[in-house]
Amino acid sequence: MKRWVFAAFLSLGLIAACNQGGGPNRMTIGVSFETLQTEYWVAGFEAIKAELKKRDIAMLEAIADGDANRQLEQVNNFIARGVDGIIAVPKDAKTIIPMIRAANAANIPIVLYNRPADKTDAKSVAVVADNFAITKATVEYMCEQAKKSGGKYKALLLMGDLGDINAIGRRDGFEEAVKACSDIVEVVSRVPTEWNQEKAQAGVTNALQAHPDINFIFTSSDFLFPSIVSALRNAGKYKKIGEEGHVLMGGFDGDATAYQMLRDGYLDADGVQNVYFESEAAVQAVLDLKAGKPVAEVIRDPGFVIHQGNLKEMSARMWGAQVKNR
Amino acid sequence: MTLAKTESTTTTDQSGAVGRRRFGGWLSAENQVLVWCLLWVLAAIPLTPGLTSSSNISNIFSNLLPLLIVATGQTIVLISGGIDLSVTSVMALSSVTGALVMSGDQGLLGGSAWAAPAGVAAMLLTGSLIGWLNGAAITRLRMPPFIVTLTTMMFFSGLAIWLTKSKTIYNLPASFIAIGSGGLLFLPYALLVTILLVVAAHVLLSRSLAGRWLYACGHNLRAAEISGVPVGRTITRAYVSSGFCAAVAAVLYTSRLETGSPVLGQRLLLDVIGAAVIGGASLFGGRGKVAWTIYGALFLTLIDNTLNLAGQSHFTIMMVKGGVILLAALLDVLRRR
Repeated sequence: MKRWVFAAFLSLGLIAACNQGGGPNRMTIGVSFETLQTEYWVAGFEAIKAELKKRDIAMLEAIADGDANRQLEQVNNFIARGVDGIIAVPKDAKTIIPMIRAANAANIPIVLYNRPADKTDAKSVAVVADNFAITKATVEYMCEQAKKSGGKYKALLLMGDLGDINAIGRRDGFEEAVKACSDIVEVVSRVPTEWNQEKAQAGVTNALQAHPDINFIFTSSDFLFPSIVSALRNAGKYKKIGEEGHVLMGGFDGDATAYQMLRDGYLDADGVQNVYFESEAAVQAVLDLKAGKPVAEVIRDPGFVIHQGNLKEMSARMWGAQVKNR
Repeated sequence: MTLAKTESTTTTDQSGAVGRRRFGGWLSAENQVLVWCLLWVLAAIPLTPGLTSSSNISNIFSNLLPLLIVATGQTIVLISGGIDLSVTSVMALSSVTGALVMSGDQGLLGGSAWAAPAGVAAMLLTGSLIGWLNGAAITRLRMPPFIVTLTTMMFFSGLAIWLTKSKTIYNLPASFIAIGSGGLLFLPYALLVTILLVVAAHVLLSRSLAGRWLYACGHNLRAAEISGVPVGRTITRAYVSSGFCAAVAAVLYTSRLETGSPVLGQRLLLDVIGAAVIGGASLFGGRGKVAWTIYGALFLTLIDNTLNLAGQSHFTIMMVKGGVILLAALLDVLRRR
């Protein structure tokens, strides 16, 4: 019997020690992230947490670890708990649909952070970066630099998972921008990375072997930079801006690695998603939906391009710079 | 009269003592994980808002059922003295195979009235076939279960991703989706399927000769062989059962997610083995019961649900679950000494 009493107290103590729940009348929002595997998601998660704290809203968190079924269970847990709203980063555009339906049925507002759902009759609001416009502006800056140098360029594009609408927007933005400078930039390789670093490294290595004259690289996400740098180093092509043989490079996200590469003079430009704008917009959208106010189905983060010319003034708005300086 | 009264009192005392002993035995040995579940819930109620609400209880069951089904298959394999690490890839490949048959977008039978039954049949066949392959490699080629199922896990996960080019498959028939969300009268289909499968596994293990053979193989393979147990056939059947159970779980997971996914259940392996081991199935074979696995799966689901509702971080939940599974494995080792 003693054992059971001990077990009961142990369980009670364990949960009590962990408990951080809010007061009875405090608003509660459930935040479900598909993963925290990259810096971007960690920064987004922390920004939402800070935004909710600022507004004195309790947060229930759940990370699905890349498993859509787990995310479904976690969202159902939020609904069972009767949260006031849900902010979710879906595993993908399709598996989120039953979760949106469940939230709709429970009359709980749901906002998708940075990844919208596929076409559906279920109601949600998505806060997303304008992937197409930000990428287009970034690559246009790279094209300008290419024009200034006066040479001809062979380009390599690292694409994301093309089942992800963000990856498609970034690919299309790149294609649109290089079309306008096709007289000096020719795309010789498009690597489908499926958001996988190993695939990215193998793809860049293969592309550099097939086309040793590649001198223009754009990656659809900054988290692939370590793979690109490694492949470039192995090929003896990792050079600073201004050095002979420098490969014009651009990326997307605005993470700490990109910031460091910009500061060190290896990276030419980076399209930045404004994590702080997106977090604030997501929380505000939940509150507005809860209050019955009209909210646009898609809230776009216009983002911005950071490059060697505006590095000092824009780094304060780059989330990767804040992470790096912490 | 006095004597009769005394005798009657003694008999009542004795039967009371026997009853108490039985109840104590029921509590302390076979069902201690169930007691843990109850204690956990009692401890969590004051700290976890909404824990006992009807919607959360139905949520706990909805989360429990598919896990219980895979864990039941795993229990059968563990009793036989093996381990099946390929269950998650069986789930992924079954999900993808079924979706490739059923999907209205790209399915072989998309739009046909036969799409859903054919899709489910394809899923169950896929799971059973992989199970048979595992069993055949282990019994005929005498390969260790760990390496066989580890490599089939890698192979079939890769195959699922290759078949779909890592895309999810949507637009599954409404009759298939109803398996995950619909029901018969007030009982969800998922519950009915689980009850059917769990009762069948219980009868197999506790009331059939095949069940006895399974325990015999797990206790001592050589002795079982000498005693005339068809060892190869018994072990192969255990892996087929595990593959079949994983495919049934894939049917439930795929239908409730309305999507065929090549990464379905990718992170579920530890929960599956954990549920069986927490319940009391031995990693060394020869020990385990379906009822125990129900308690193990329930305990893991409760940990997930309560800590999630209590606002705990993902990392806290992982650490608590990992600790509980480690403790269960340690108890298993201590029991063997």
